Amino acid sequence: MKRAEILAGVESIARRRLGRETITAEPDARLIDDLELDSLQLLTLAVEVENHFRVRLSEDDDQAIVTVGDLVATIERRLAEGGR
Amino acid sequence: MSVSRGEFPAPAPSAPTLVAALERAARHPGVVLRFLDASEREEILTWSEVRDRALGVAGALRRLGIEPGERVALVHPTCPDFVVSLFAVLLAGAVPVPLYPPVRLGRLDEYHRRTAAMLLASGSRLVLADARVRRILGRTLELAPPSLGCARLSDLTPSSVEPKEVRPEDLGLVQFSSGTTVDPKPVALSHRALMAQVAALNSHWPDADGVVNSGFCWLPLYHDMGLVGCVFSALERPGDLTLMGPEVFVARPSLWLRGISRFRATISPAPNFAYALCLERVRDEDLEGVDLSSWRGALNGAESVSPRVLRAFVSRFARWGLRPEALTPVYGLSEAALAVTFAELGRPFTSRVFDRDALADGQGRTADDGVEIVSVGRPLPGFEVQLRDEAGSPVETGRVGRLWARGPSLMDGYLDRRDATAAALVDGWLDTGDLGLLVDGELHLVGRAKDVVILRGRNYLPDEIEAALDDVAGARRGCAAAVGHLPEDGEREELLLLVEHDRKATSEELLTLPERCRRAILHETSLAVDRVEVLEPGTLPRTSSGKIRRGEALSRFLRGTLEPPVPVNALTLGRALAGSQVAHLRRRLRGGDGTPSEGSSGAG
Repeated sequence: MKRAEILAGVESIARRRLGRETITAEPDARLIDDLELDSLQLLTLAVEVENHFRVRLSEDDDQAIVTVGDLVATIERRLAEGGR
Repeated sequence: MSVSRGEFPAPAPSAPTLVAALERAARHPGVVLRFLDASEREEILTWSEVRDRALGVAGALRRLGIEPGERVALVHPTCPDFVVSLFAVLLAGAVPVPLYPPVRLGRLDEYHRRTAAMLLASGSRLVLADARVRRILGRTLELAPPSLGCARLSDLTPSSVEPKEVRPEDLGLVQFSSGTTVDPKPVALSHRALMAQVAALNSHWPDADGVVNSGFCWLPLYHDMGLVGCVFSALERPGDLTLMGPEVFVARPSLWLRGISRFRATISPAPNFAYALCLERVRDEDLEGVDLSSWRGALNGAESVSPRVLRAFVSRFARWGLRPEALTPVYGLSEAALAVTFAELGRPFTSRVFDRDALADGQGRTADDGVEIVSVGRPLPGFEVQLRDEAGSPVETGRVGRLWARGPSLMDGYLDRRDATAAALVDGWLDTGDLGLLVDGELHLVGRAKDVVILRGRNYLPDEIEAALDDVAGARRGCAAAVGHLPEDGEREELLLLVEHDRKATSEELLTLPERCRRAILHETSLAVDRVEVLEPGTLPRTSSGKIRRGEALSRFLRGTLEPPVPVNALTLGRALAGSQVAHLRRRLRGGDGTPSEGSSGAG
């Protein structure tokens, strides 16, 4: 999957499940401090990313993901490893 | 004013302890626990499989050195291992302490502090954790090292053992009423209390008239509504139960409704926010082929129930066969093992409209226009509720009072917390800290006397939310009140922050203060504040010792009477002196403690 497709997937989750117009415009934007996602939205984002991309984010991934860029890079890495 | 159902004796449980109940359920091979994942795949476990696996683990626990009565903390997502671990601890004669697993994509610092505080407060000797959770529990375990460490289920070699003799008066569960880092209170419940609670619940929905009850639960199992209300009640019947993780529900609320339909579930509880989330996020196309007609008990509790949400839910999902009478507001608290009152099953929910001004004066007068409050029904059989005034005497009929409850499922107390227990349990009565009104024998919740913010069914102490403001420039330190309330026209509890600005705050700081407060709280607690009100210094009402009176602040705010103190100068001082006698009398009549002087308002 190309990076553009991953970005599009994340955007679609943000739009449909979080009610956000865009979240990937600034890769350095932090999920909590800048995008101000609360705990419910973060949980939703994690579960939806797993559903959408058919990957499994580990607990370690969860804690390493601070920015949108981290999230996209983690999805990329998991997909390269061959999904679940 | 009190309502008793003491004349209806509490129903006798089908077994005296959870251990005996497991033994009994294990003899029903047709009854299953079903675990559903995000792809709606199921994994099935019978109670006899739970018993057999748990017995092996119980042997391993005994060999590790776990003694009867000792606490073992459990940190798992919703999965078969959680249920096996829980019953293993019980079969070893020990006491399970379910704690919540780490937050996803969230900050861990707060989680570590909170979990460590709960491990210490419960005196847990061992932590049993899911393999994936265990890897990141390291910091927690450093902060609060249990003497026997942390083990995964797979680390323990099953070892055959006879179940430990457990008596009804022995502790069966320690649960936390609110997860707080400062002062977590471990609620200690005996087997007898737990069995009495689930017997009372099951008597409310007997298998009769061709209905065989079956539960559906996505609620977290470290919370009483999920563990006691769903798992233990299914065990006592015994009856089928389908379990799904809370994170699955939050991401895909439609899977709740689809699951109820698919497994013909009859009983499925949730806090108000879950019903609101369905209205917001479930799309018609998610519900193709769904039939909700089996759902008889859509119980709604653990936070304020919004009549608007109930009505909207009924009208939205009637197309899919939802029975209008299924929605059942309930009231309870973890100190009572779960439920205290229940609206009648099989009858549409009712609400009453109370005159707004009378209500503010503590009088429940029904009116055509005003505040609509849902009835949470009558006490369960064997339970009793009483409304008391601040002096502890029962209030007159029609007055708002502090709600006390009595019944067969009250906690023994807070574990090793004699002071806190003595404050909560007096002569066999439990101080719920909630404010209520009784109308025609039915309880209506008006607000809270104790300081607690309930969001999405979870309790938070306001102190922790307010502490997030310590480093916010322009906010007056220690002078904020975080309060939760259900707005009159709202659908869910909102978090309101009342904060005084610093006298030296610049106009630039004042402009951005609400936004910076919101960010600080989100950053520290992952909670989104719905509304920030910046107040003049000295505006928040305080007690004589300088503590902020949050409940009073909220009620003044809602009435539009939260006003700054009048600046003191020679003229106002003179006027005040002249009128002080009158004012003093008036204050006493009003029952408030007036606006504090500058000198007394700094503490917090």
